[in-house]
Amino acid sequence: MSTQPTLQAHGCVKTAGLLVAGLLLCGAASAEPDRLQRHFKVDAHPVVTIHNPNGIVTVRAWTKREVMVTANRASDQVEVLAEQTGNRVDISTRQTSSTVAPEDLRADYEISVPEDAELQIHDDSGAVKVNNVLGDMNVETVGAGVDLADTAGYLTVKTVGGGFSCLRCAGRLVVSSISGSLRLLELRSYNVQAQTSTGNILFNGEFLPNGIYRLKNYSGLIEVRFSAADSFDLSATSLKGKVNNEAQLTPPNHPGHFESRYGNSLFGTFNDGHAKVELTSFDGTINIRKRD
Amino acid sequence: MGMSECNAFLTQLDAWIDGDRPAAVDAHVRACARCRDLAQDLGAIREVARGWGAEEFEPPARVWTSLRTQLEKEGLIRDHRRGWARRWTDWLEEAMAGVPRPAMAGAYLIALVAVSIALVGPNSKQLNDSRWIESTQFSTTPLSAQLNTAEQSMVSSLSGDSVVMTSLHDNLAIVDNYIALCEKSVRDDPQNEVARDYLFGAYQQKADLLAQITERGDNSR
Repeated sequence: MSTQPTLQAHGCVKTAGLLVAGLLLCGAASAEPDRLQRHFKVDAHPVVTIHNPNGIVTVRAWTKREVMVTANRASDQVEVLAEQTGNRVDISTRQTSSTVAPEDLRADYEISVPEDAELQIHDDSGAVKVNNVLGDMNVETVGAGVDLADTAGYLTVKTVGGGFSCLRCAGRLVVSSISGSLRLLELRSYNVQAQTSTGNILFNGEFLPNGIYRLKNYSGLIEVRFSAADSFDLSATSLKGKVNNEAQLTPPNHPGHFESRYGNSLFGTFNDGHAKVELTSFDGTINIRKRD
Repeated sequence: MGMSECNAFLTQLDAWIDGDRPAAVDAHVRACARCRDLAQDLGAIREVARGWGAEEFEPPARVWTSLRTQLEKEGLIRDHRRGWARRWTDWLEEAMAGVPRPAMAGAYLIALVAVSIALVGPNSKQLNDSRWIESTQFSTTPLSAQLNTAEQSMVSSLSGDSVVMTSLHDNLAIVDNYIALCEKSVRDDPQNEVARDYLFGAYQQKADLLAQITERGDNSR
């Protein structure tokens, strides 16, 4: 099954051809000027792709087995395309003329999906917000910030300058940025790889047994907060910066633990060393702080 | 063939192999297959053994050191070493004279190792450094050149004034700056694997960034 309606309210009266398409569209969607809505019935584990050059993309999980797309366009210089192919829904924003002012390219989306949906989101500028979605997720942005909350699955996030925040995320997380800061709060992930060049990294979450946590930047601050009940092997190296530690470490439990001979380094085991924590910076500061 | 003749031949075997072959003994060897085979086998073994002897090999240095130590201990030879090394060890022995013996042994060993590293280290380190620089440059020079070429060809793509292009441009400058810093660190300490790891990571970031710029350039056409 494949449908390709164009969510373009202003286009309904322009030409006869568009009139037909517009009628079909208006019949399928509840249309207000510049606010458009579409519904797609889906099965278990649907895939939703979103490609938006500029704007805020908000995705929430709900209990219905359908995907609801609500789009708000900044101008009629862009059109919103929504297409369903099998169990996949593709949503994208396209400009309708070659000379469009950047602010007119904006489209904001509010999308409701089943909680087991898999998401693939591209959003150059603006923001991406995802709540309560438990499927795998891939988010790529340039300047857009990414905020995830109560998500799970395999999460891969890549930004150029956008910041990243993850609240109560579970599963596996791979995030990279060049100048964005990364905030990992109340995390329950068993595998975290977070890297940024000039941004800061804050990790304030649980170190799960057998979990692996690798945080790396060039400059900026890496701060890890631990609780007295945590159990981890720690390796912290800043080639040209400082390493400040509040954890009472014992010599590393496990032979073969990576130990750098360079820069300012710290190695040791906290409690029984069940998790593995590797912190690396080029010339930034690394803080290992006790959680309040 | 009698056993007594064979026994008599065994007593003359070495001489016979060396070429001393009286007529009676020679007649016995020709007539007795056992003695003839024995003489031929032994002659062949000698030949092979001579060949081995021709390949001279140098015993390990520790053999000479042990020999020298033993001979010095027995007073058969004296240590005639002079110069800074001898003076330094004499000074070290004097300096350590007041220290308890087990501690002295440990300290002496540590000092010797430290001096060895100080003397041998720089040459070895310089050699290793040059090898590391060479291998790092071997892997990064073509990569760097390719990335720079790609970057130059994208200058036109970066000319747009959108927020996205500005962000890409700014972040490309950040990555270029880190590449320069990492290259300097690798030059300063070529064996530093952390610095090399960061350098390769920075190149990868630049490649990713250029790919994104290309993708956006293609999409906008």
